[in-house]
Amino acid sequence: MKLPSFRPYQVVEIFMEIEVQLTKQPIAEKISPAQGGAAGAWLEFRGVVRGSEDEKDISALEYEAYAEMAWREIRRILESLALKWPCLAVKVVHRIGVIPVGETAIYASVAAAHRHEAIGLLAEFMDRLKQDVPIWKRRAMARDESGNEERNESRNERPARAGQRAHDAEASGQQAAKSADEARMEISSRCRPLPPERQPLPEAAGCILRETVRASEDMPPADRSTRDGYAVRLDDASQTFLVVDTLHAADWRPRGLQTGQAVRVATGASLPCQNLQVIMQEDVVRVENEIRIVRRGPDRNVSLRGEDMRAGAVVLETGARLDAGALALLATVGCVHPLVSPRLRVRHFTTGDEIVSPEIAPKAGQIRDSNSSLIRGLLRPFECDLIQGHLPENFDEAASRIGGLKVPGNPHLLLISGGASVGDKDFTRALLEWLGFEIVFSQVNARPGRPLIFGIHGSGVAFGLPGNPLSHFVCFHLAVAGALAALTGGPAPKWSRGRLAGKLEGEPSARETFWPARWAVSDEGTVRLHLLAWANSGNVACLASANALARIPAQCGRLDPSAIVEFLPVSAMPEKL
Amino acid sequence: MRVLFFAQLKDVTGCESAEIEAASLDSERLWRELLKKFPALAAHRAATRLARNWEYAGPNAIFASGDEIALIPPVSGG
Repeated sequence: MKLPSFRPYQVVEIFMEIEVQLTKQPIAEKISPAQGGAAGAWLEFRGVVRGSEDEKDISALEYEAYAEMAWREIRRILESLALKWPCLAVKVVHRIGVIPVGETAIYASVAAAHRHEAIGLLAEFMDRLKQDVPIWKRRAMARDESGNEERNESRNERPARAGQRAHDAEASGQQAAKSADEARMEISSRCRPLPPERQPLPEAAGCILRETVRASEDMPPADRSTRDGYAVRLDDASQTFLVVDTLHAADWRPRGLQTGQAVRVATGASLPCQNLQVIMQEDVVRVENEIRIVRRGPDRNVSLRGEDMRAGAVVLETGARLDAGALALLATVGCVHPLVSPRLRVRHFTTGDEIVSPEIAPKAGQIRDSNSSLIRGLLRPFECDLIQGHLPENFDEAASRIGGLKVPGNPHLLLISGGASVGDKDFTRALLEWLGFEIVFSQVNARPGRPLIFGIHGSGVAFGLPGNPLSHFVCFHLAVAGALAALTGGPAPKWSRGRLAGKLEGEPSARETFWPARWAVSDEGTVRLHLLAWANSGNVACLASANALARIPAQCGRLDPSAIVEFLPVSAMPEKL
Repeated sequence: MRVLFFAQLKDVTGCESAEIEAASLDSERLWRELLKKFPALAAHRAATRLARNWEYAGPNAIFASGDEIALIPPVSGG
């Protein structure tokens, strides 16, 4: 950064002690004033959060700051004011984050030889702060009638509160395992959509649309014939007509029609004017340039201008995945460079010295790597750029191999298989922290997949997945898929309900359990769900036939056949259960 | 060059920052590049100030690669 060559307020020699702080912590009740015999006035100001904002009762305000600049800007303002109001010392503390009603958002104290300068400086400083310092009241948390706190803005409501609770829990030293719902909400609130980019239509296949696309013109742009035949005026009851023109599908020759005039039209041809009827060629007899009507039915055989869509009508909403039909629609309206989410760059690493490549016959104590294939398959529908590798089970060696991933947001998504469970927990967690990730949570109260690590680094997201394949399957659909949706702005995984095909008998678990399952629609039209047996979380066999993830509540050991269960469909419906 | 978004502009752009590929730009051309990427910013341009390396940028500022650029919507601290 180049410093400005001329700072006028530094030319004059004025010495005023300046202290500036931005903090997420509550501002203490008592802050001892700058001491010194020279001060004859000491002024203290607290700006506190009012109980109402925009005439609504609120419980708290959330402040955001561009901290690096806010800190400098406050200093710059104070330095310039010191010329006009020569004071001895100033201290300014601004709190950011969520601040409850009645608590201090800004604290300022000024020590001066006389009250006049102190009052003048403080008043002018507060005015300038409210004009120039990059700090924002981001949102208000409303107080509803029952006295519960709720966010004014519904979109981020629950996730953000879950995040705040997590923050509070961490601050107080407890790191409670999250419920699967809390984890899902936290992921969707912490992962921000990546900046969209314009892509040529062929490249945009499979991407998530990030703009609302509207029809640029009426579709069809003019009345069109749906038959090969003769267009005549709707109000013309003549029996014979003179054929005055012939129009093929690509022709565009507008004209009015007189009584007794007809135009020969092909299927798809734009009609020469409105209020016409097309009489099928089978229903007329033509002799040279004249036709005689044999039969005239009530059908107009016309597709009307704007019948498919009107100019300006929304044809695709932001968040749509550009599948075959959506791409055809974009082509139809001429949207050839749609704004879409970028292709996600994903890095996946396996860990564990016992893992060998699947083409190698494992020796005693070794197992073939199935997670790489599983992750590759699970990511396939998301059209990511995936690079996979293996990390040695030694922090220093692993760190030296992935040091290049310290740049936040590169890759967009980092997945590490294994090294997340209690025994070797520190490995993946420590590695992610070393790369600069903030660990948002490291445990989920779900079975399988309890040790699930979720971290954020700038726009980049990381997951430490428990090592076994079944946990991968569960964690991917429970957590990673949600992050992919949030990063791309695509639709979040959608849970459905179905009836159990058989009964569930087992020991009740203290944790919510997620079962690989197979779903299908029965002949009677009900959604039936078959839970796939798994003995332990290393069980791969059941994954091959799973097309859903079923959710069994905690403490629920027995369920009757036909019990209603929540499930997440994860691939196409099979032919039969 | 990296451009940071704050407060409501994060909601408008859907992101916290964006990369602009250019060696140096004046504010007019920087805006043009930004609007190309985020047409929705147009409605906020009049009220938004540009900052370069943690200081408000004057009308003749040149933004170069390596600078930290920020879009500052109307502030509401205190």
